[in-house]
Amino acid sequence: MNGSQRRTHASRTWRGYALPGTAWLAAFFAVPFYSVAAIAFGSIDPIFRNARPAWNPLSWNFGTFGDVLGDVINGPLRDVFVRTVLFVVVALVLCLVIGYPIAYHLARLRGRTKTLILLLIVLPFWVSYLMRMLAWVNLLQRDGLGMRLTAWFGVEHNWLDGSPTTVILGLVYGYVPFLILPLYATLERLDWRLVDAARDLGASPRQAFWRVTLPLSRTGVAAGLMLVALPMLGDYYTNDILSRSPRTEMIGNQIDFFLNAGTQPQRGAVLVLMLSFVLACLAWWYVRDNARQRVAR
Amino acid sequence: MTRRLSRRQFVGRSLVVGGGTIALARLLAACAGGNESTAELVIGTPDAPVTLPTIGEPIADNLPSESGTLQIYNYADYLNPETIAAFEAAFDVKVTVSVYDTEEVALSKMRSGSISPDLVVGLTDSVLARFVAADLLQPLNRSYIGNFDNVIAGLRDPYYDLGAQYTIPYVIYGNGIGYRTDRDIDTSVFVGNEGWSALWNPAYEGRLAVLDSYRDTISMALFRAGVFDPNTSDASALSAAADDLVELATLTNPKIDILSYQEIAGGGRDIALCWSGDMLAGVGYLAEGESPDVLGFWYPEVTPTGNDFFSIPRTSTKPVLAHAFIDYLIDVDNALNNQSYVGYQPALEALTAEALINAGAIPDSLVGALVTPERYASGKRFVSLSPDVDALWLDAWTRFTTG
Repeated sequence: MNGSQRRTHASRTWRGYALPGTAWLAAFFAVPFYSVAAIAFGSIDPIFRNARPAWNPLSWNFGTFGDVLGDVINGPLRDVFVRTVLFVVVALVLCLVIGYPIAYHLARLRGRTKTLILLLIVLPFWVSYLMRMLAWVNLLQRDGLGMRLTAWFGVEHNWLDGSPTTVILGLVYGYVPFLILPLYATLERLDWRLVDAARDLGASPRQAFWRVTLPLSRTGVAAGLMLVALPMLGDYYTNDILSRSPRTEMIGNQIDFFLNAGTQPQRGAVLVLMLSFVLACLAWWYVRDNARQRVAR
Repeated sequence: MTRRLSRRQFVGRSLVVGGGTIALARLLAACAGGNESTAELVIGTPDAPVTLPTIGEPIADNLPSESGTLQIYNYADYLNPETIAAFEAAFDVKVTVSVYDTEEVALSKMRSGSISPDLVVGLTDSVLARFVAADLLQPLNRSYIGNFDNVIAGLRDPYYDLGAQYTIPYVIYGNGIGYRTDRDIDTSVFVGNEGWSALWNPAYEGRLAVLDSYRDTISMALFRAGVFDPNTSDASALSAAADDLVELATLTNPKIDILSYQEIAGGGRDIALCWSGDMLAGVGYLAEGESPDVLGFWYPEVTPTGNDFFSIPRTSTKPVLAHAFIDYLIDVDNALNNQSYVGYQPALEALTAEALINAGAIPDSLVGALVTPERYASGKRFVSLSPDVDALWLDAWTRFTTG
């Protein structure tokens, strides 16, 4: 067996190993997604008000989809979509502003300090997201530690008054580690000799960062933003716990209401499909951007 | 490097995807089975009481009580753990409680069989007809419920279930406004329907809440506007109520939840649309040493009133024990013990306002939150809505909640 044959054999072996996992993921993506579509284009049981999925695509009814689309384009759901996107964009910018310097600093560190900081970043994952948000409610309530602390500095503010600021800060707090880790992985692999070369050629530290480090870490930034944006767009419990006011209603809250509390699960399923479309567009942009980057290299 | 698909590859892969979709659709349809409902709803209203169709027979008399674990399906914090422990000790059994958030979720999970409890607590007449139509409940055998005569006379033969075949009342309540008496709440406005306008006061911005229940909150806006029908199908009245609620959201930025029993007592909010039982339950959530007099409740002259009930699922594996639990909870002393935690007023004849005050269960400041037989009788009831009317209510709710 020559080198080329060996490589082909190895490639086939690895494809074989990946097959069960790929089939598993495909099945558990395809089946739930098709079920959501069948509910969205199905009907409602007039007696029990539960969804009657239309499994046959030929009998799909697009009436509810049209109604919800109308509400999204020029109805009450338009504000919710716009607000959700706005919250996510602001939260992403804040995540990047907070996360990039940490990832950068971490990539330049060596030894025990680095391990310690990495541990501190991963530490919140040991406690569930829900518990961490509930802890914030305790901290920020009227006699909570956080409120007393800010009052001690002369800042009296009711953080739990249902304001968008609290929800956005909650999103940032909850998701920023997801941005730091992929960004750190990219920055750690960065060839720092290129930065040194830029400095040798007369670039200031700021110029070296903007012209060398930042462009080279673009893949990590994109991966981190993707990883954070996807769950943020569908998030509903951050708002549920920290605010739950009409001014902070996100699209995830509407999905939760229609699927769990209301009697129109079809509308919830349609919103899931629409949100999935937005997420698919983001994912497509990310994959395409990655492919372009590889071609460029 | 990007690789383009040839036409042959494209057609081949399209066939695979299309074929896969059809196969998947057939597989899922086969797994799902038939889900067409052929049942009919029998819905009672105060003006047209109904005898629900009897499906199956109650359990026989004089059966021995089962041993093991009694599984109860209930709202959170809606049974006193001490009362449950006393029942466990008295009957030498174990009790577990599973929690549901909404009646719709309970109906859906029980229909799908994903939960099969022995006893359900907290359902109301707005879903009862659907539970019976789905054959989820069994008729009760009154010979196991010796304390039945303790129930408020007006609820022994309720309009939604004449003869109390499937249900035994648990607690009663009415809608109103709960508030902190030690904050700057203007109580002088609590007169007539105009009292509801307190919730539109911009001075309470960020300190106010309404119920995360579309029927209750929209009804409040309807009542404020003088429309005293909590089951209305009048699209223009519902649209006007939605406009009013949007205005409320603009003026006060309310929270929408069912946590006022904790939040008002804890000092995190000052005023809220809530159920009368929320304020009675709030006493248990006050800070240590804080006087219950900080809690107040405005009970409007015309408001929705209602009651929850106990019912036993058809699939209960411990029906005798479930009957025993119901009987235990409608014993006056046990009900009083349960009330000390739950707060809500037991639907028992003996537990009048005076009896509850004398027992130290209700502070003087909350006497106004008690539902007297007269209040209950004059209250408005929520009944099941037809899908079309329900859609109108949900449209109004969406307009409000989306800000």
